[in-house]
Amino acid sequence: MCGIAGIMYKESRLTGLAPIGDDLVKMLETMVHRGHDSAGVTISGESVDSDLLIRIWADESAPAAETIERAKETLAINGGAIVTAEARDSYLRLTANYEGDVPQLADALLKTPGVVLHSIGENSEVIKDVGTPMVIDETHEIRKISGTHGVGHVRMATESAVDISHAHPFWAYPFTDVTVVHNGQLTNYHGMKREYESRGHHFQTHNDSELIAVYLADKLSEGAELEEALRESMDDLDGTFTYLVSTKDGMGYAKDRWAAKPLVLMETDSVVALASEEVALRSVFTEELVRTEPQEQEVMTWSA
Amino acid sequence: MVSLDAGELTTRELNRKIKDLAEKGDAEIVITNPAAKHNVAVGVRNKCSISIEGSVGYYAASQLDGPEITIDGNAGWALGENLMSGKISLSRSAGASVAASMRGGEIFIGGSSGARAGIGMKGGTLIVGGDSGFLTGFMMQKGRIIVCGDVGDAAGDSMYEGTIYVGGEVGSLGADAMFDEITEDELIGLWNELEQKGITEKPKFRKIISEKKLYHYDTLERLERTLI
Repeated sequence: MCGIAGIMYKESRLTGLAPIGDDLVKMLETMVHRGHDSAGVTISGESVDSDLLIRIWADESAPAAETIERAKETLAINGGAIVTAEARDSYLRLTANYEGDVPQLADALLKTPGVVLHSIGENSEVIKDVGTPMVIDETHEIRKISGTHGVGHVRMATESAVDISHAHPFWAYPFTDVTVVHNGQLTNYHGMKREYESRGHHFQTHNDSELIAVYLADKLSEGAELEEALRESMDDLDGTFTYLVSTKDGMGYAKDRWAAKPLVLMETDSVVALASEEVALRSVFTEELVRTEPQEQEVMTWSA
Repeated sequence: MVSLDAGELTTRELNRKIKDLAEKGDAEIVITNPAAKHNVAVGVRNKCSISIEGSVGYYAASQLDGPEITIDGNAGWALGENLMSGKISLSRSAGASVAASMRGGEIFIGGSSGARAGIGMKGGTLIVGGDSGFLTGFMMQKGRIIVCGDVGDAAGDSMYEGTIYVGGEVGSLGADAMFDEITEDELIGLWNELEQKGITEKPKFRKIISEKKLYHYDTLERLERTLI
């Protein structure tokens, strides 16, 4: 069991960025009973005065400060110019100007000892950690971050390790700004993973949910629209899933053929919010809601 | 009448107070600010009246035997699970698995219900004013499900006994489910029953029952053998 949440303020690009970080932390905290292990968010549509926003975690293989310096050097060697660098514990948030090939930069960062790449985006970032949403917010000050939309996750691990890298959201390496949060289990994970690896795709973890991110990245890179990619995943992914995806300017959900994992949806002209449980929606919207429950094999997308 | 503010109480405190009031008999309880909390008004085993002003979360009004509960809002998964007797009326929509393992009484959903409505039902009546999702009546063993709107795929999958009435479209029948003829008297009876719920439309209901091709119970349970 896990909890997922997503929110988009449809016109915030025009009317001013919305408190996406604050909303997601509130929604996730009310669903903490669905997963205490770890939590994370993607905040998209941030105001970024550079080409890329990069999130890195320095693993325990070396002192964090050394890894962080190595990551900065890698970026510089590959032609990137750091605009801002914010280190917080073992995390590094970089904004940088970079005109090269993003997959090439991603590969270079991944080959840098100690570096775990959580996301590369043009306007989005993944923040994830072990612990509950409130605890994570104390470290990362997620609530202060504004954007146009975002997704979040609280995890109760049913497979793979409980650590920072196996927390959600999963970034669709090396596709900028595409991230996924997932509630469920994929039963054809190993076969599909081998197939993608043989085609050159890279997996950073042993978590089945990462497959969805890679799958969508592959579809999008072939030119598919987001909704088309979500719909095709119904036939290609096996198991139980309700997942949310966030892109640079879009958000969507897909729910499996068994309707096995919950999702409720509330939408007005200006905002759309989704969560595993209505109690999460009520943490952001205090009034009684007209909400719907997506059914089996449903997908939907929105644009910010 | 006693009013309880769910926003001021933990779920355990709220349910304890409801039980205490119900055990005193003929209680009329109003619950305010439920804010989609889980497990509201569970395990009440006395006749009483409970009015919940707002949406509830998972397992609301489950494990009941006797109360009449009205909920003005939505409900999460498994509303009214294992209802033995009494009535539950929900003004808006319910999540998946409403009336799971229900044994008696009546559950009315003003809006729509999610997947697996009436799963493992063993008696009583579930009425859905709107649509009902995938696997409606999955493995039901007794009782009636009345859906005024459409039902999703696999309706009545692996049902043993009981009846599902559908006023709208049927996505598909589940394994071992079949359509049966509905009589004029049966139809009029359903319309009269729905009129009491404020539903005045008169859908031409279709009836789904078990085909019983998967029904193999030649060997009695140990307890049943002693009764013959």
